[in-house]
Amino acid sequence: MNMKWRFLALFATLALLLAAGFALTQEVWDEAAAVEVNTELNRPELIEKGRYLALLGDCKACHTAPGGSPYAGGRAMQIPRLGTLYTSNITPDINTGIGAWQLEEFERALRHGIGRDGRNLYPAMPYDAYARVTAEDMRALYAYFLFGVAPVHEAPPDNKIRRALSARWPLAVWNFLFVPDEIFEPDPQQSAAWNRGAYLVQGLAHCGECHTPRGIAFQLKAYDETQKGFLGGGPVLDGWQAYNITPDRDNGIGLWSEEQLTRYLKSGHVNQLAQAGGPMAEAIENSFSQMHDNDIAAIVTYLRSVPPVGGRQKVPRQRRGTPATDVVIKRGNLIRRDAEPHNLEATSDGARLYLGLCASCHGVDGTGSKDGYYPSLVHNSTVGAEREHNLRQAILEGIHRKTGSEIKMMPGFARELDEQQLRRLLDYLRKQFATAAED
Amino acid sequence: MAGREAEFVVIGSGVAGALVANTLASAGRSVLILEAGPRIPRWQTVERFRNQADKMDWMAPYPSSPWAPHPQYGAFANDYVQFKGPDRFESQYIRAVGGTTWHWAACCWRYLPNDFKIRSLYGVGRDWPIDYEDLEPWYQRAEQELGVWGPSDQDLGSPRSGPYPMEPLPLSYSEQRTSARMNRHNPAWRVVTEPAARNSRPFDGRPICCGNNNCMPICPTGAMYNGIVHVDKAEASGAELIHSAVVNKLISQGDRIVGAEYKDPAGVSHRVSGKQFILAANGIETPKLMLLSRSRHNPTGVGNSSDMVGRNLMDHPGTGVRFYADEPLWAGRGPQEMTSLVGYRDGAFRADYAGKKINQSNISPVERVARQLIRGEAPLTAPELTEQLRERAARFTEFSSFHEILPQPQNRIRPSTSEKDASGIPKPEITYAIDDYVKKSAAHTRQLYAEIARVMGGTEVEFSDRFAPNNHITGTTIMGDRAEDSVVDRDCRTFDHPNLFVAGSSVMPTVGTVNVTLTIAALALRLADTLLREA
Repeated sequence: MNMKWRFLALFATLALLLAAGFALTQEVWDEAAAVEVNTELNRPELIEKGRYLALLGDCKACHTAPGGSPYAGGRAMQIPRLGTLYTSNITPDINTGIGAWQLEEFERALRHGIGRDGRNLYPAMPYDAYARVTAEDMRALYAYFLFGVAPVHEAPPDNKIRRALSARWPLAVWNFLFVPDEIFEPDPQQSAAWNRGAYLVQGLAHCGECHTPRGIAFQLKAYDETQKGFLGGGPVLDGWQAYNITPDRDNGIGLWSEEQLTRYLKSGHVNQLAQAGGPMAEAIENSFSQMHDNDIAAIVTYLRSVPPVGGRQKVPRQRRGTPATDVVIKRGNLIRRDAEPHNLEATSDGARLYLGLCASCHGVDGTGSKDGYYPSLVHNSTVGAEREHNLRQAILEGIHRKTGSEIKMMPGFARELDEQQLRRLLDYLRKQFATAAED
Repeated sequence: MAGREAEFVVIGSGVAGALVANTLASAGRSVLILEAGPRIPRWQTVERFRNQADKMDWMAPYPSSPWAPHPQYGAFANDYVQFKGPDRFESQYIRAVGGTTWHWAACCWRYLPNDFKIRSLYGVGRDWPIDYEDLEPWYQRAEQELGVWGPSDQDLGSPRSGPYPMEPLPLSYSEQRTSARMNRHNPAWRVVTEPAARNSRPFDGRPICCGNNNCMPICPTGAMYNGIVHVDKAEASGAELIHSAVVNKLISQGDRIVGAEYKDPAGVSHRVSGKQFILAANGIETPKLMLLSRSRHNPTGVGNSSDMVGRNLMDHPGTGVRFYADEPLWAGRGPQEMTSLVGYRDGAFRADYAGKKINQSNISPVERVARQLIRGEAPLTAPELTEQLRERAARFTEFSSFHEILPQPQNRIRPSTSEKDASGIPKPEITYAIDDYVKKSAAHTRQLYAEIARVMGGTEVEFSDRFAPNNHITGTTIMGDRAEDSVVDRDCRTFDHPNLFVAGSSVMPTVGTVNVTLTIAALALRLADTLLREA
């Protein structure tokens, strides 16, 4: 007994000493690290410039957990077949963030996707786009993240990656095969606005990450307007699909006016045309709506100039659909559940589901409200799109978009619909509002 | 009979049960909710209502289930409640997942501090065993949970520890005009903006009110709060809900409740067991269940050693007035009700007659007026009908009232000894009489109505003197300090059983002068905190 107690005491003392020692060395190390970073970049005008660049890059969207501190990471990213990644803390906290990073380390991560420990980052981080960023802008971004952001001491959860796929070396091969790493070179033949737009679209705004098709190894098929397929529409990511945003009239956004495109980027909402949802609503909320007008104009200039990418559509998605008239037949007739009280399987058809679930806001005919607060589903570029993914996501998750003091929201209906009802509703919506009207 | 088990068994899934269940489940506790009625998707109720020919029958979209009937009157009368005594207690409720707040106008008033002590102040009714200050923190939390809008520039008489979660939407034109004229005439009337659990901005995943003007019987968008909000949250937090489970007996062992027996729609009995039981089945079904749970140790039902279970039944007997104002007001834009006259909620007169609240209706009168015109004697051409409809619907104005009835043991609900529902469970039998305390106040209200009509230049003034029910079913498991005359204590725990609690309107010792839901919610949240503290 006596022996046992003595051992315990010894252990306790050792543990205490170790803890104290660890805290001490940690502190010393922290101080040393703090000295090593490039403090000469701690200049207000550079930090301010970096703040705006971080906004252009929408770093906050991925590096902030829902309800979490800005840039402290921890947002879960579901990667098909791989598992769940948690974004990193990019606040200047020395232990859990990037507070000890030198400029070269910062730049290597952004440009080449290589972490401070030398390991390859997962390409969920769009380093292939950020490779375009100029050295000067890199310094400003560094200055902002090291000296303009409040440190948050918070370690994100560990990634949950399937063991068989946890090795990082294949990423180096992938990078070698697919990822260009050239800094953006202005084209002297083009206007300053065009060059600025190209720089933003290919670089910080990383539009192609979602809007450009991907190849068999999930690599982007094009990185700029000289390569085939650039911005011609992306794969389904997290349930959402980014549209073709090239100037093709029927398959892209060639028929959108410059004014409409500008308004869309600034607010996410153009009456009788388009409303941003999901990740695009997020990009508009955090990034586009806060950009300077001349940067939006530059983006629009460049987007209008990229080669159109064609497709199978003969009628553009914003020109499809006709007003519904089913209310005339349905009104006054019992819902199927009541017409067949003993048939527990009885479920209503899509038109009835539309009237009960959607029509209170979008109208019995689907034309929405005159002011567009409740969008028309007729001539709606989401409802009329070639595939139903974004419509499905909008129904299930709803829409939430805040620009300035204005909030646009649609509730999600995931709890109201079972799979069969969702199928019936989608089929109805697509038939009514995504079919081209007969000439 | 083998059944499920949970730490907390909540019986009833209305606003009270759902708030208790959600608070417990969010804290990681195991919760089982038993709901007598079925799940009812909002869209089905919306479509039923839109299909109805008679838009004024607000209970028609909520068909009563054969296994769990709820009272229905008018065209769909189902003879569920049995009446004894001089007055019919026709208050209604909904037996369905989410409960009766599927169908309400979302008015979210706090009681006045004086409402808690009318016995001490005015020598009538009963005092609550708690004060306004005791409940205030939970009022504040309830407003946050439900998402209540309220005026920041008017003192409603109930001191607040924080602002309302939301500013109200602008008043309807009708109520702007009427409240301005009435307040100018007599500032003591105090026509104020009514606090309501309805969104004026996106809140809690629910959209802004877009003024469908059919809060009753159903908000089609979910902009208005319904109990289903917290049922959904509770389930998302891990609570289990069994719907169409009609509890008909609580099983006790010594002084503890150990189980609940329920019948499914096929009439098969099941039993669940738990450590704590929370009854949240409204002011009629909760006492009925307690009185049905007779055993050797509880020969008159559980929790009933005081003989107070089912007694002190209260509501807000209401009267009304209708007239045509001297200007077009166009009631019907926005929610169904946005203002109240609160100048007679409190005062020395309460020693003599009931305090009250007067409500202006903002319900679209088009259907009512159209019926009158079409029923009228003189034949009308279509253009005449259109013109008169516009003219009269624009000026139609309606007020109604809530009078505070006092708790009286002889007003009571009991299980019928002769009538049973389809599940073989006794129907409720109600004995009810409206006394002079209310009638005297109603006479004063009538004079007030006449004065309001004069102020608004009203013509064709029509009084509704018959007392209408207002569905604020209270008092039947009354809260008090003493086991001899009360069913539950200040913590909503039954005096007789340490693990049996009551959530909901039935614990309220007085009905006050305002809609009771916010007080139900505050008491439920307070109860949930008590349960968590003791768990």
